Amino acid sequence: MKRYDLIIVGAGPSGLSAGIEAAKKGLKVVVFDENAKPGGQLFKQIHKFFGSKEHKAKIRGFRIGEELLQEANDAGVEVVLNATVTGMYQDKEIIVRISDEMHHYKGDAIIIATGASENMVTFPGWTLPGVIGAGAAQTMMNLHGVKPGNKILMLGSGNVGLVVSFQLMQCGCDVVALVDAAPKVGGYGVHAAKVARTGVPFYLSHTIVKAEGEDHVTGVTIAEVDEKFQFIPGTEKHFDVDTICLAVGLSPMSQLLKMAGCVMEDNPKKGGQVPICDEYGETSIPGVFVAGDVSGIEEASSAMIEGRIAGVAAAKYLGYMDETELKGKVTELEHALESLRQGMFAPKNRGKAIEETEEGIAISKNLLKHGFVADDEIERFPGVTHKAGIHPVMECTQNIPCNPCQDACPKHCIKIGEKITSLPAVDESVDCIGCGMCVASCSGQAIFLVDETYEEGYATVTLPYEFLPLPEKGEKGTALDRSGKEVCEAEIVDIKTSKAFDKTNLLTMKVPADMVMKARFYKRA
Amino acid sequence: METRIEEHPILGKQETGRLVTFYHDGKALQGYEGEPIAAALKAAGVMVHRYTKKEHKPRGIFCAIGRCTDCVMIVDGKPNVRTCVTPLKEGMKVQTQYGVSAEPEK
Repeated sequence: MKRYDLIIVGAGPSGLSAGIEAAKKGLKVVVFDENAKPGGQLFKQIHKFFGSKEHKAKIRGFRIGEELLQEANDAGVEVVLNATVTGMYQDKEIIVRISDEMHHYKGDAIIIATGASENMVTFPGWTLPGVIGAGAAQTMMNLHGVKPGNKILMLGSGNVGLVVSFQLMQCGCDVVALVDAAPKVGGYGVHAAKVARTGVPFYLSHTIVKAEGEDHVTGVTIAEVDEKFQFIPGTEKHFDVDTICLAVGLSPMSQLLKMAGCVMEDNPKKGGQVPICDEYGETSIPGVFVAGDVSGIEEASSAMIEGRIAGVAAAKYLGYMDETELKGKVTELEHALESLRQGMFAPKNRGKAIEETEEGIAISKNLLKHGFVADDEIERFPGVTHKAGIHPVMECTQNIPCNPCQDACPKHCIKIGEKITSLPAVDESVDCIGCGMCVASCSGQAIFLVDETYEEGYATVTLPYEFLPLPEKGEKGTALDRSGKEVCEAEIVDIKTSKAFDKTNLLTMKVPADMVMKARFYKRA
Repeated sequence: METRIEEHPILGKQETGRLVTFYHDGKALQGYEGEPIAAALKAAGVMVHRYTKKEHKPRGIFCAIGRCTDCVMIVDGKPNVRTCVTPLKEGMKVQTQYGVSAEPEK
């Protein structure tokens, strides 16, 4: 039996982060992962992350993965791949399956960072080929370069459903509808808005009646549900699709902890069965720690911080640092973690109906029901202002922990302030130079530059664009409003691409002046 | 319709292994060496990986990360191989799995 100071199960964002911190303190660390490649789900995340600038916001997930692997490598963390941990027993012994052999290991401390698995829902036809998990879609398109389908219906309006819908469109799939049994969009409004404005209809309070097809999916029927989630007869709608994508939540993969005898709880706010643990992630068994989704479903950003905390706590547990050093290291990390757990989508607010923002502004009801902010709602948010000449319009309407836009502006005309969840506001005393850095910095793609006085009778709207093929300067197409409805003709007058924009292209389209506050997307002719 | 993503707006052009021939139920198909068998099959338009033992219902890719075992097939004579996490090799013989065998039950 081989012995390590610290055994980590799972080489995703939290497990690697934990390994880095522990190895830096001199612990002999091994990380086991059942996959062929490390990084967990990070390499499938191609969108820019939310959060604070100090903690990797506006960097795309797969780039964060690359940085993390490099850091783990530099710190000397040993990562064993294709190694499935199948059991954890008393005295911190584990059994690992590597190819067709079982191996025994013992750790003086153990960190479980196994992440989460996707939830499923059943309906007639749900086992047909063509019904896939949203994670499967991400794996196929973003890792293996294969389209998951051509015409796709997405079930689930949480961040996974919204982000994956957008990614499906980015790789050339047609998303015909986004459906959720809940009466309100579950994920960030900005993620919903960027899907809605491309023309994807949202069906809230709807769910799947059946998937159709003999050997694989050829269609789907959805229907509206009442408050008790019962189908309302006569509301059925049919779509011809070849793929149905399920994004109905995640559950912590906490089986190893339960098996080892950790005290568990069933906590709906954390996504299911989780171990009871202290602020350092230590479970009821001394020396057994948890980090990341296995201890409660959150984002990769928080998983990485939790991993670092668990890593230093394990070092302290084994005597590699004293209480003072532990406190010193953990205080800043906990502060960062706390800031990510603020706002409307904070774990503590799950299931609560929030009526207004921290600033006291009424929440957009239309955003929650249809995925986009209505024309008569948008003007009340502080990022939306009017003036002559070019200036930013920030359609950021919910308190989420994110602030890269504030630092993106070289003229400092965007203000969020100390509180990372505050809605961005425009400092109207500063003149916008139209550089577009704010547009490209917004992970939610919610910032536009508008010039209401571009030329007689016409205005311009500059929008973030992450699709191929890129339109050409001078071409004419159609402007879509926030709902994805065609509203007017649009001419592309400028296209900016830059390394600093990190693959977010800036399209500037000319539209009739009265459309400047409506036109938010460009559709090629 | 083309299933391979030629150029991605964020990821650019996909890096691929060598193009190799493999066999699906005896028919020669092409895929990239090292990619999951399931990805190569998907790109070739194959949806059904197996039929269940009792009810003979079709199954295909579901989780794509080796958890659910819906996509198992017979690979080079070995049944229950998770095609979503098994790398493609030149000349591989991949067969639809019926229950746990390579032949449909009579």
